[in-house]
Amino acid sequence: MLFNTEFFIKTFFTALKGLPVTLKITLMALILSLPLGFLFAVIRLKEKSFAKRMVSVYVSFIRGTPIVVQILVIYSIVPSILSVVIKRFNLPFNIFDINPILYAYIVFTLNTTATLSETFRSALVTVDKGQLEAAEAAGLTRFQGYRRIIIPQALVAAIPNICTTTTNLIKSTSLAFLMTVKDITAVAKVEAAYGYNYIEAYLDIWIIYILICILVEFAFKRLEKRLKVYKTAAAS
Amino acid sequence: MKAFEVSYIFRYWPDILPFLGVTFLTVTLSVVFGVALGFVLALGKLSRNKLANIMAAGYTTILRCTPSVVLLFVVYYGLPEMMLGIWGVDINDIQKGVFVIATFSLMFAATMCEVMRSAYESIDKGQYEAAVSIGLNSFQTFRRILLPQCFYVALPNFGNAVIALLKDGALGFTIGFIDIMGKTNLIVSMNYGAHSREIYLGLAFIYWGITILLEKILLRTEKIFGKGKRVLKAD
Repeated sequence: MLFNTEFFIKTFFTALKGLPVTLKITLMALILSLPLGFLFAVIRLKEKSFAKRMVSVYVSFIRGTPIVVQILVIYSIVPSILSVVIKRFNLPFNIFDINPILYAYIVFTLNTTATLSETFRSALVTVDKGQLEAAEAAGLTRFQGYRRIIIPQALVAAIPNICTTTTNLIKSTSLAFLMTVKDITAVAKVEAAYGYNYIEAYLDIWIIYILICILVEFAFKRLEKRLKVYKTAAAS
Repeated sequence: MKAFEVSYIFRYWPDILPFLGVTFLTVTLSVVFGVALGFVLALGKLSRNKLANIMAAGYTTILRCTPSVVLLFVVYYGLPEMMLGIWGVDINDIQKGVFVIATFSLMFAATMCEVMRSAYESIDKGQYEAAVSIGLNSFQTFRRILLPQCFYVALPNFGNAVIALLKDGALGFTIGFIDIMGKTNLIVSMNYGAHSREIYLGLAFIYWGITILLEKILLRTEKIFGKGKRVLKAD
């Protein structure tokens, strides 16, 4: 079979129609898991407690299992939980009408939260404890101390890892097709199956993913440069 | 919908666990080929040759931005066509494991290139100079002085990469490869999806167990190889 250039170019733009879905999953997962991950990181830095142990088990489980398996587990467990809830409260909608993207949000949020909690934990320990004490001594509340003193400094240390997490997240959203979500990969798969033009379609999405990830990495580089202002004293 | 039955989590383990051999074999072979290719790439990155630099950097950048599943599809559908088109070799009947190993070797090589490069750069240049000044030739210096130190520095990253590879390897089932993931999927479809929750959860526990075990082994190995290492202590 020859390489079908016409199909290759056409499918590139067809696959781009899946881009909003990919970006939506990525953004949603990030928005939800940034605060959650931070909360979990703070819990894990505290003294021994039940919550700490639960969070540790959760992070270990997520980090210890393939994301495909997490997808399959969530995709089989969550609908049955939802159907019980719907039945119990007589809610007026059908379980099969739920947009599968909801399951994608759940899986990728759970996954990213675990990774980010590790990132934030290591970032928070890079900030000297005296900083918080000094902030409190200067009359800031604990919340203000975190918000104005600790987080900006920890963020500088965390940005490279957040960047890696984001690109990994974008890459793993390519597995959303397993949940019948119509993202870039799913669209390409459907297009490819029409005329067995698999190579062309998969090369298309390969290029798209490379472009997105390079853009994201570039954006984070810019952000890192801007945030460096918070790191004046210690860096030099 | 059927109720959640805990017993189903473990019911099919006797059928799934024999396929651990397949999973470990693909991981091992991918590691071997990946390390070899990664070494070549790291040489390219460290060399003074501009072209080698660009090629190695391009390879790692592209592979870093590639979802494993996309590369797997490209290799699975592209490799046979390429072989047929360029050399006239028909590999359409070849085992699917070959495509899985090829894909993850390529992936692993990109990670390994970075791991090896950063390990090499972490070694003080004085080590090389000292070794050469007492009469070792450059191969001996590499073999006896630099390599052991690089190895220790690279070990944690190497271990994490292997664990990531093990988890990524589960994607082989998307092209119909039968390892523990593929077997689980077969069992679920033979049951027409009944109890899929429990069966997949059981698989998750298997992977979790392997990962925890690998992490333990990694820590132990680090301790063994860290014996001769003098570390600056803060206190």
